[in-house]
Amino acid sequence: MMGPLIPQGIITGEWDFVIALLLGIAFGFILEASGFSSSRNIAGVFYGYNFVVLRVFLTAVLVAMIGLLYFDYMGWIEMDLVYVLPTYLRSMVVGSFIMGLGFVLGGFCPGTSYTAIAIGKIDALVFTGGLFLGIFLFSEAFPWISGFYYSDNLGNVTVNEVLGISNELFTFILVVMGLVAFWGTWLIEKRVRKTNKHYKFE
Amino acid sequence: MSADKTMRQGPRYINPYFGGVLLGLLLLLTMFITGRGLGASGAVKSAVVTTMDKISPVHAEHNIYYSKFLSSNHSPMFNWLVFESLGIFFGGLLSGALYGRLKKPRIEHSPKISGKTRLWAAGIGGVLFGVGSQFGRGCSSGAALSGTASFSFGGFLVMMLLFGTGYVLAYFFKKLWI
Amino acid sequence: MNRNYLYLTMLMLALAGGLFVLPERNNEQGTLPEELMWDIVQPTRYATTDQVARMIIEKDPTIELIDVRPFDEYTDFSLPGAVNIPLDSIVNENYQDYLGIQDMNAVFFSDDDIKADQAWVIARRMGYDNIYVMRGGLNCWVETIIRPEKPDETASRQEFEKYILRKGASMYFVGGAKMDENTGSKKTNVAVKRKKKAAVAEGGC
Repeated sequence: MMGPLIPQGIITGEWDFVIALLLGIAFGFILEASGFSSSRNIAGVFYGYNFVVLRVFLTAVLVAMIGLLYFDYMGWIEMDLVYVLPTYLRSMVVGSFIMGLGFVLGGFCPGTSYTAIAIGKIDALVFTGGLFLGIFLFSEAFPWISGFYYSDNLGNVTVNEVLGISNELFTFILVVMGLVAFWGTWLIEKRVRKTNKHYKFE
Repeated sequence: MSADKTMRQGPRYINPYFGGVLLGLLLLLTMFITGRGLGASGAVKSAVVTTMDKISPVHAEHNIYYSKFLSSNHSPMFNWLVFESLGIFFGGLLSGALYGRLKKPRIEHSPKISGKTRLWAAGIGGVLFGVGSQFGRGCSSGAALSGTASFSFGGFLVMMLLFGTGYVLAYFFKKLWI
Repeated sequence: MNRNYLYLTMLMLALAGGLFVLPERNNEQGTLPEELMWDIVQPTRYATTDQVARMIIEKDPTIELIDVRPFDEYTDFSLPGAVNIPLDSIVNENYQDYLGIQDMNAVFFSDDDIKADQAWVIARRMGYDNIYVMRGGLNCWVETIIRPEKPDETASRQEFEKYILRKGASMYFVGGAKMDENTGSKKTNVAVKRKKKAAVAEGGC
């Protein structure tokens, strides 16, 4: 059996949403159990007192990348059918800046805010309300910004098409960078926590 | 790490690397099954589109952004990401209940700011995240996490710039957190 | 605890590094012999000269004629609008853009069926869909379209209708061929439509 299953019609329509729900539950569980339901845990990544975001996020990316490459090698997944997010250069750069600012201010990202609502965080509820409002404002303003939104379309390009390095090399570089970051941030965190006594987990 | 035993008075979290490996495997499984990664902001987008379609169908149809996601044969809420996000909520609920973090509604904030300030910051942060995620074709899970893992250049770009911006701006918002 | 992290670090490096030392492996399973046989015996993979003629005259945008004869024969004479992919270069990278274009039906032809059939099988094996062979090739084309034979007096009405159509087509193509001579090699400049990646609904996160 070769993946991906749904695009090839191996799993059909009716199961689609059941699977979505189950995968979502697993996603939410992992996020909450890792401590992503607390905005102060998340924001810690920017101030050096808690690097849980970096650890979980980067480990997940690395594991998934390595796994995907091995799956591809074993012929378990058809890489051509795996969705590659399209790149709209300018729009994405601006979007990232805006999200970055929103991240420092709000301390959540959409996925983590849902889990935080689940355990009773009012600030997460407000954050999600903000999300709703933000998307609403964007949609209303869309006629004026659609030109920008669609500009610089590079298509569904992958890293190796743009940077010219193989997926394997790219993964290896990220793994090395990630491991350095894991060890480095461990030292930083230890030092910051020594001087900063008033921060406690949740 | 025995050094930070004293920090662990609060609720216990799973080891972040363990969580990361689990999340990575889940992402891999998701890609194996669906051919695309996980996401979160798409559900809110569906909610916005649905709301607008309910309030003013004509307006929604005329706006080229809403109409992109409108279809005549089913509601925009009948969407993969909506069900997945519902799952995220229940997954969080399950984990919170299991680890004893499920409590009465509360606002978590730094002792240096009031709850009201925190709510304002969270709300504005949410608005910005909402706008940004539309420009960026996805949020930190859809674009940065899933995008990078599927070797999308755009996903990688979003990941680096999102966190990069956070670091650059963190200094100005220090009071909000510590 | 620290030692465990050290092990994990090394495991990560080994897994990532392992990607480089893996021996080459070909996952291309391609078409199974049974499937290929099934496809070959399907009569629907053939297009008649009449069908092709009609599509050319009607300027059907979905038809793509591919001449698999050698280049010099192609320059001597070919069907209007046809592109040339000599049989021996059908697996060539440079020609792949002509094949597998979405919503395009590629029709192979040669002097007779043989080369076109071979091209069809190779292309099929490479995984292309929407490919056809013009039955009888150019020989049949000349016989039926360019110089159609008048049916016997006793032939059925359909035969006569066919003849009239062919006669008309003959006028069209003989006239067209003359024009081609004037314009010289222009017909080789066929715009290449790039193959598009399978479009997946946008929606991101």
